[in-house]
Amino acid sequence: MSTATMRRQTSATQSDGAGMALHLLGATALVGVAATVWLGLFVTPPDEFMGNLVRLLYIHPPMAWVAFLAYGAASLASLLYLWPRTRAEHFDRLAGASAEVGVVFTGLTLASGSIWGRPTWGAWWAWDPLLTTTALLFVLYLGYLALRRVPGEFHVRARRSAIAALIAFVDVPIVYFSVEWWRSLHQAPTVLNPTTHKTYVHGSMAWTLLLGFVSFTLVYIWLMAHRYRLAKLQDREETEGLEVALAERRAEAGARG
Amino acid sequence: MNGYVEAGYVVVLGTLGSYGGALLLRERAARRRAGGNGTGERAGNGPGVATQVHRSGPADEGLQLRHRSFEETGTGTEP
Repeated sequence: MSTATMRRQTSATQSDGAGMALHLLGATALVGVAATVWLGLFVTPPDEFMGNLVRLLYIHPPMAWVAFLAYGAASLASLLYLWPRTRAEHFDRLAGASAEVGVVFTGLTLASGSIWGRPTWGAWWAWDPLLTTTALLFVLYLGYLALRRVPGEFHVRARRSAIAALIAFVDVPIVYFSVEWWRSLHQAPTVLNPTTHKTYVHGSMAWTLLLGFVSFTLVYIWLMAHRYRLAKLQDREETEGLEVALAERRAEAGARG
Repeated sequence: MNGYVEAGYVVVLGTLGSYGGALLLRERAARRRAGGNGTGERAGNGPGVATQVHRSGPADEGLQLRHRSFEETGTGTEP
């Protein structure tokens, strides 16, 4: 058996293993989300002040957490890409994949927050510091995704995208601490409040919220992994298309000469 | 319960489900275009050789498998 064949077989076996792990992760995430929905809608008690509206707690903060996590991962991958000793194409792909998933979760944070805000504050939207900085975060990363699509040589495009991702990430701590820094309509964090270092949710509500955080984190990893695989396929397709076009041009030039 | 709560869950779960489903479909389509398993390996006859399926004859003929006995086809070891 040739070395190339052995390498191909090893790679195929590894990819089979990765695919299997991804299936398992997807199934676990699905079960976790289903359990969160069931506990959140039917098992946990209504809140003393908010009533049944508190059930949005089990999806809204996890959306925001996952968005922060996704942007954190995108920034880390961008930093690793910019660092000459760790520069590799897969860090650029990872940053792009994570940021795209982050944008989806930021959109859902805004949407679920708006749905919660309507019956609580009497308005779908308010120019509150937290809401405004979150909307800015959404726009910043949409811009980042648009920048990634600007044509150019791979490393030039990847470098400018990595710098843009790091600049956009500056808004993440501003969003988190905005409720402390400015007078806000939005309540301070219920879990791990940065000022009091306390958690204001207990019992079955706390466990359901924790399950929500874990389940949606798994959903993020699953989505990010699939987005990464898609980006890898698209890059390969682009490279091969270019090679074919170049070969055709060379053949044409040879036939003329 | 409360219309807002249901709306919140539908928006979140519906969006994530649609996005996940779209990613899977796009990945599958890209893999099909690449003609392999999408992990840098090509399916088919060997490296760099895309699998091509040629069908001839009536459409229904190609879909039927015909079982042949050893008397018809031999064992495959004969010259």
